[in-house]
Amino acid sequence: MSHHDVVVVGTGLAGLTAAVRLAEDGARVLVLAKGVGATHLSAGTIDVLGYAPERVDRPAEALGALVDARPGHPYALVGAGGVAAAVDWFKARIAAGPLAPYAYAGGVEENLLLPTAVGVARPSAVVPETMAGGDLRRDAAICIVGFRALKDFHPALAADMLTRAGVRARGVELDLVPEGRVDVNALGFARAFDAPAFRAEVKAQVVAQLGVEERAAFPAVLGIADPHGAWTELEHGLGRAVFEIPTLPPSVPGMRVHKSLHETLRRAGGRVILNAVVTGAEHRGGHVSALRIRVGLREERRGADWVVLATGGLASGGIELDSRWKARETALGLPVTGVPEPGAERFRPGYFEDHPMARAGVAVDHGLRPVDGGGERLYENVLVAGATLAGAEPWREKCGDGLSLSTGYRAAELVLAASTAAGAAAGVAGS
Amino acid sequence: MPTLQAELLVIGGGATGAGVAWDAALRGFDVVLVDRADLAEGTSGRFHGLLHSGGRYVVKDPVAAKECVAENAILRRVIPDCIEDTGGLFVTTPDDDPAYGDRFLAGCRACSLPAEEIDVAEALRREPRLNPGIRRAFLVPDASIDAWKTVWSLARGASAHGARILPYHRVIDLHREEDAVTGARVRNEHTGEELDIEAGFTINASGAWAAQIAHMAGIEGVGVIPGKGIMIAMNHRLVNTVINRCTMPADGDILVPIRTVSVIGTTDSRSADPDEIPVTQAEVDQMLDDGERLVPGFREARALRVWAGVRPLFQDEKAGAVADTRDVSRTHAVVDHRERDGVAGLLTMSGGKLTTLRLMAQDIVDAMCAQLGAERPCRTHAERPPGNEDGEPYSLGSRLRRREATLQDEQLICECELIGRSRLEQAMRRRGTTDLDDIRRSMRLGMGPCQGGFCIYRATGILHGVGRLDGAEASASLHGFLEERWKGVWPILYGDQLRQARLDDWIFQGLLDVEHLPDGELAA
Repeated sequence: MSHHDVVVVGTGLAGLTAAVRLAEDGARVLVLAKGVGATHLSAGTIDVLGYAPERVDRPAEALGALVDARPGHPYALVGAGGVAAAVDWFKARIAAGPLAPYAYAGGVEENLLLPTAVGVARPSAVVPETMAGGDLRRDAAICIVGFRALKDFHPALAADMLTRAGVRARGVELDLVPEGRVDVNALGFARAFDAPAFRAEVKAQVVAQLGVEERAAFPAVLGIADPHGAWTELEHGLGRAVFEIPTLPPSVPGMRVHKSLHETLRRAGGRVILNAVVTGAEHRGGHVSALRIRVGLREERRGADWVVLATGGLASGGIELDSRWKARETALGLPVTGVPEPGAERFRPGYFEDHPMARAGVAVDHGLRPVDGGGERLYENVLVAGATLAGAEPWREKCGDGLSLSTGYRAAELVLAASTAAGAAAGVAGS
Repeated sequence: MPTLQAELLVIGGGATGAGVAWDAALRGFDVVLVDRADLAEGTSGRFHGLLHSGGRYVVKDPVAAKECVAENAILRRVIPDCIEDTGGLFVTTPDDDPAYGDRFLAGCRACSLPAEEIDVAEALRREPRLNPGIRRAFLVPDASIDAWKTVWSLARGASAHGARILPYHRVIDLHREEDAVTGARVRNEHTGEELDIEAGFTINASGAWAAQIAHMAGIEGVGVIPGKGIMIAMNHRLVNTVINRCTMPADGDILVPIRTVSVIGTTDSRSADPDEIPVTQAEVDQMLDDGERLVPGFREARALRVWAGVRPLFQDEKAGAVADTRDVSRTHAVVDHRERDGVAGLLTMSGGKLTTLRLMAQDIVDAMCAQLGAERPCRTHAERPPGNEDGEPYSLGSRLRRREATLQDEQLICECELIGRSRLEQAMRRRGTTDLDDIRRSMRLGMGPCQGGFCIYRATGILHGVGRLDGAEASASLHGFLEERWKGVWPILYGDQLRQARLDDWIFQGLLDVEHLPDGELAA
């Protein structure tokens, strides 16, 4: 059985953040994941806090009020300072990562307002440089360029909605098709944009259609290998601000995050095993000593000093609910809080209502260690991060990325602090 | 006030009304059909999809059983494209009395229903997921029938014979001159415009809403009891044969494989208002337990959607109050208002079931002909409505087979239900609708496993792109769709479908932020 300093379960934003942070500090890190992680679903922005429940313009300020009002919110575990530190770290890692000089802009002080693919102004704190130009707080007309072959992005619809909200916007659709195919998803277009010939073709078709003062929006498909290159080339070629708007999944900006952190992790010596399902844990007292995993048809064990659990929530399979309303955390069988008793109301009949089980998840203590219903700590060396945590409504609050990033980062910090303390103690004992 | 003239006004665009329009149009009558909503949006689109062999009724209701035996055979002939010949099994589960099987077989013989007892081992070979504890099994000619296709096919057939089909036209008043009904005033639910329809004759085919319609002509006490039933569509063909429990009809004792899903049904409870039929958690739990009895592991399978429908049960006034709606006959009755109330020119269809829709239409149009003194024989037993002309029966793979050759030639807008862009655009133009929910029903868009997670944004964009929706309508349509969809999923959100729902939240709320679409009145 191989042994690792830290086994991270999950390869979404929370898991990768914890893993990179730890590996760069010299820890031997193994990441186990069932699939590629939920970064591929996200917009690629780091939404820190968008609604609480009114629209948030200054997330750092609003975070304080939020955790005062809702001490059970996972942001209470990291605080505004913890979020800011994680954001700074993230921006630095991406800027120094394999996609550099592709970088992120913004910060926790204020939210940008970026248009979505239906033309809603969505508050985001930290965003790819390729999206920042779409900030709707800036009053400049927008021409949204789409592709008829890309069914997951409809420029005229987005423009029409923006116009109704008072933004000068219009949509144009190009008939340009990568490799002559009719049904190409966002990733297919992103690969096409990696090729200079395709970019030149787009530029040539778009340039004549733009008004003098318009900024140009594109679906978020401007390259996967070299997004900075594709974006700057379009900005120069079109002579104006160019920005991306996220499409339906697969999310190219999300894949860039994944690719960047994943590669950074490898460079730092971390290992990743995909298609690995954690089926349980071996523990001695309050310590998990090894994880039982299934990789394909093979059953294996992996020893670990620390486990960071970042398997996601109900959307990612980190938490499941059965037909008798019994909820379970799927890797270690941790208790789940926030699920109403059988017979009580779980969901309201209106989609946009507040649903009683919306905040279900795993409860933790201030050291991110899972606790049972009575608040008793269950394991000393298991930390929980990301969407597995109870207490938030990531999509309604537009805070899922910020939560995953900051709790993943916090988990790594806690492990490092504890290891340093243990090392110091061992050093003292040994002297 | 604009006015339409017709020989016959049909009120109700469900299976009964569409059947009546088709029948009467074939006999040469000039027909107008109105419905307050879309075709098959009421009871017909909310049933389990079972084309009865009659087996369910042989012991308790032999009249209904015999009608099913005859109509099952006719419908297979005239609307083959709407029917999948799944066959049916009646099985004695460990909770059922094996002796009922003998009464069942005797009943089948008495009703000329071809039923055959087979070995339990043979039944399990056919349906490996069936409860291995079953003790007897009987093979019958059950089938599954697509209600939407049926209703649309009949309506298109009626149109082809001159009928005017007007969905979203709500009857707001019946015209009455002295002792006769002479038509109705209807309101276009999209434009708000009112329209007078002058009709020589009116057939009330509004099912569970029949009493409300009759009331508009000053006629009270029409004996239609709304009987609520819930059904759950499971996301797999858990079985490929219709499975019935071999016992007196009870709740949750039918499992129908239809298209790519299987539907378990149903409950039966009296409902005061046919428009108020909420699904309760207890009913869902009961259905899942009932499913578990037929197919062990049912609770671990993925539930896709739950809904309630409301049967129009016929109550004979002389029989007095009925306590249990299950005891009400499943046959139909033509209510002759000339005889009953002294009002000519109006007939009401009461009771009945989808399997006997053709017979119901025949009976009521015959009754009209008798009142009018017209001699025009029924032809629906021998004519095939549009889509069924080639006589080719539907099979599970036929949809894919038809599209496979061209699947790569265009964008696939709904991957779950294999809907290409050109078909969607055609449907949008043909239907003349801007309502995503109408398109959902007529094309099955958004009815697969992802419940519209991907295709609804796409369809909205395309509708907007072809100029059918402006921004405000797109907003309203998107919100309306999400609310409609939610109604059918929230009571069954657990397991994989809960995960799917969260993924859809991620898309709609996380990526698109639909909560904040610029539409104050909708967000409220």
